[in-house]
Parts: sequence; C-alpha cells; structure tokens
Amino acid sequence: MSTYGTPGAAPRVLDPMTLPSDDNVDAYTFCVELKGTQWFMQKGKMIAYYGTVEFNGIGHGRLDRLVRKAFHSPLHASDWVVAEGSGKMLLADRAFDVNSYDLDDGNLTIRSGNLLAFQPSLSLKQSIVPGFLTLIGTGKFVAASNGPVVFMEPPIRVDPQALVGWADCPSPCHHYDHGYLTGVLGGLRAMTGLGGVSGEEHQFEFVGAGTVLLQSSEALMTGQAAGAPPQQPGVPGGGGPGGSGPGAAGPRLPGQLGDLQRRFGL
Amino acid sequence: MFRLQSSKVLAVDMTGDAVKAKNGSMVAYDGQMAFKTLTGGGEGIRGMVTRRLTGEQMTLMEVKGHGTCFFADRASEINLVSLGGEKLYVESSNLLAADGGLRTGTTFTGLRGASQGNGLFTTTIEGHGQAAIMSDGPAVLLRVSPQYPLTVDPGAYVAHQGNLRQSFQSGVTFRTFLGEGGGEAFQIRFEGDGVVYVQPSERNTIAGDV
Repeated sequence: MSTYGTPGAAPRVLDPMTLPSDDNVDAYTFCVELKGTQWFMQKGKMIAYYGTVEFNGIGHGRLDRLVRKAFHSPLHASDWVVAEGSGKMLLADRAFDVNSYDLDDGNLTIRSGNLLAFQPSLSLKQSIVPGFLTLIGTGKFVAASNGPVVFMEPPIRVDPQALVGWADCPSPCHHYDHGYLTGVLGGLRAMTGLGGVSGEEHQFEFVGAGTVLLQSSEALMTGQAAGAPPQQPGVPGGGGPGGSGPGAAGPRLPGQLGDLQRRFGL
Repeated sequence: MFRLQSSKVLAVDMTGDAVKAKNGSMVAYDGQMAFKTLTGGGEGIRGMVTRRLTGEQMTLMEVKGHGTCFFADRASEINLVSLGGEKLYVESSNLLAADGGLRTGTTFTGLRGASQGNGLFTTTIEGHGQAAIMSDGPAVLLRVSPQYPLTVDPGAYVAHQGNLRQSFQSGVTFRTFLGEGGGEAFQIRFEGDGVVYVQPSERNTIAGDV
C-alpha cells in the first residue's frame, strides 16, 4: 500500500512560516524567499505568493542598473521579468520537475525554455548555440525538466531532445551515424524512412571535462520564440555567411540525392 | 470511503451507498455497480437551468453498489478533501468525485473566472463527506489567515475552502501595451481564513501572455 492510502490523513497545509526558503516545496514547486531582494524569472511562472511582490518587465527604467549587470540577452528580454519585494513566492512550470542548482564561480549553459529563474548575482548571456542560454558567476538558479535530471560526464553522446544543458565543458558538436546512412540506399532510407530508420542517427557529442545534464524524457519544453541573433557574418544562426540560417534544411548527408544532382550538374 | 490507490487513481469502497463522479471517469471496479447519468448533476430542474445559463456545465454520473470502484481522468493528480459541513469551491472541470450526500451547486465568482476563461461561475460542494478534486501535478495547499493574505495566479488556481474573500488584481499598466508587462497581469488576492489549492502548472488563460 502506498503512502497515499491512509484514509483520513490530513493533507499538509502550508503557510509562510512552514514554506521552505529558496527550496523545493515538492518535486514540482519551488519556493523563493524575497527579502527586499530581486530575482529574474521567466514570465508567467509564478503560481502564488505571500507578501508584496512586484513584477516588472526587463525594460523597466528603475531596473536599468540591475539589467546592465546581470542580463545580456536582448533576444529573451521580452520573456523575462524581475520579481522584487518581500514575501514567499511559488514557481512552477507545467507540472514539470523543478530543481535549483548552485553555481560557484562557474558557468552553465541551459536550454532557454528550461530556465525558470535565477539570482541577479549570476549573469545571463546568450550561448552561441542557438536556443541556449549561459549563466556565469555565483548564485542560485531554478530549472525545469520533464522527469528528474540525470548528471553525466563526458565523453558522451546524447539525444538532442533529452539534453537540458551542460556545465564547464566546451560546446557540443553534432554526431551522425554515418555507417548507417552512406550510399544512395542509405540516403533514400534517411529521406523516406523506408527500410527502417531508428530515429537515433543524430546525437550531440560532448568531450572534455565537465557535466552534462539530461532529462529522462524526450519531451521538449516549448521555448518561446526568441527572434534571431544579429545578422552578422560568423554568427551561428545569424543567417550571414559562415552560419546556416534557421530556415535551412537539415544537414546534407553523404549519399543524399543532392550529391547526385550536383554531380550531374543539375 | 474514498482512498487514493495511487496519486492518480481514486478508489472508493462502497457498501450500497452512492457516489457522484465525473461522467466516464470509471476505470475499473469489482463487485456489483450500477452507473446512471445524473441529468443536471442531480441538482434538479433549477440546477440544470442554472448550469446551462452560467456555462458551468458538468456531467456527473451516479455510481451505486457494493465493492470497490476506481476512478481516474487523464492521469491528473487527485487530492482528497474531507468536508465537515463547510463549503468547497472548485472549478467544475477539476471535480472528479464526491460523496452522494454532498450538495453541489453553482455560485458567482466574479472577475476571477473571466480571467481564466472558465466563465463567471464556479461549482460549490457542501455538506458532510469526502470529495476528490483533480489538478495538473500535485496541488499545493496554502493557508490564508488574516495576517497572511495570499495572491494566486488565475491559471494555477484549483479550489478553495473556508471563509475567504477574493478580489481581482490587475497589474496592467501602459507597459503591458508596449510588450513589457510583468507577465503576471491578472492575480486573485485571497483574504480571510481558509485554504487555497494551487497546481504547479498554469492553464492557458487570456492573461497568460500579458
């Protein structure tokens, strides 16, 4: 019999005294204590609060100094707000698992949709990998994942959908299982799915020292549309030369028909 | 007797008594059970008309028999509430089951309902017995007392109990229209004495994006 089964057991009712301070209430809810302090948080992730808390957009004039110090991603500015005041605030996201992590003079890169909140002592920057954000400095941040987070050490290859983020190690690269996809037949197979495609031919590969964070499911958090990086040569995702545009088709595999066409000059 | 078989399955042990449950939420039973749709939630003609008018519609069935009946709905988390004569306010979409002896009805909630797209009315349950309410993720129970009022996001509100006054707060400023809103444009403030059930997830509300 499970722990739920006890009939008549009174459910736990929380108040500002019994709510934890900067810790998890349960696996899905995180409680932030504000004592005249500020937290950056993703828009709309507050579910309830005690006390007086004010939410202001990043563009708010009074926050100029704070934003200059801790927020360096103009693309995501419209998704983020600053909570300030005093009281206890509960954060949650679509009933996903929520966890807090402490960074001590470190760096961590995370999928932008997974990051829920962070202390202004950390500094938020945009990763050069599109769709990811990097936190640098010392402080606490809160991240959501579908299923508990698993920590792995490189060298490792991970499924793109299961990747939550990585700390301290260099950025990943793409890995394709070429043996499976070479030749015209392999190309046809990759394009049409005929003859069996496992769906796992493409991974992210991590090397070097550090930690890789994975979620135990392949359900992605829908990141909010965050625009595009500046259109400059050499900026990945920027659309300029040296970076493939976001609209470009997937990578060209050896043996794909494009090669034949090119060979015949079509 | 209500008990949780797991956090997502409700088991009700019955000895000839009746239980009201959301239509179609039975997943299994043993023993002898009879299922009957309750037209208008068993609230009579007047209740039926009220529900039709207020848009707070729910289709309930009455389950009667001997044995154990299991209920679940879309893998939602289930929370048990024991009522000793007080009133529970819950959205009709979040109500899974209630003892047959509990009275259900509708009540006006004001602007809170409008902001979460659930209409201006909510369902009340009153009497002595148990009820099971559903939430997306396990609900967090927050106590409201005179010195600690609580503010809740309309999309995360599930139910409340006790003697509470609710007021609607709007954080809409000119910045909201510039696209720089605080993301929490609509809030409900609870004052008084009672308990509020909040789910760790937000329904899509019209206020979600401002």
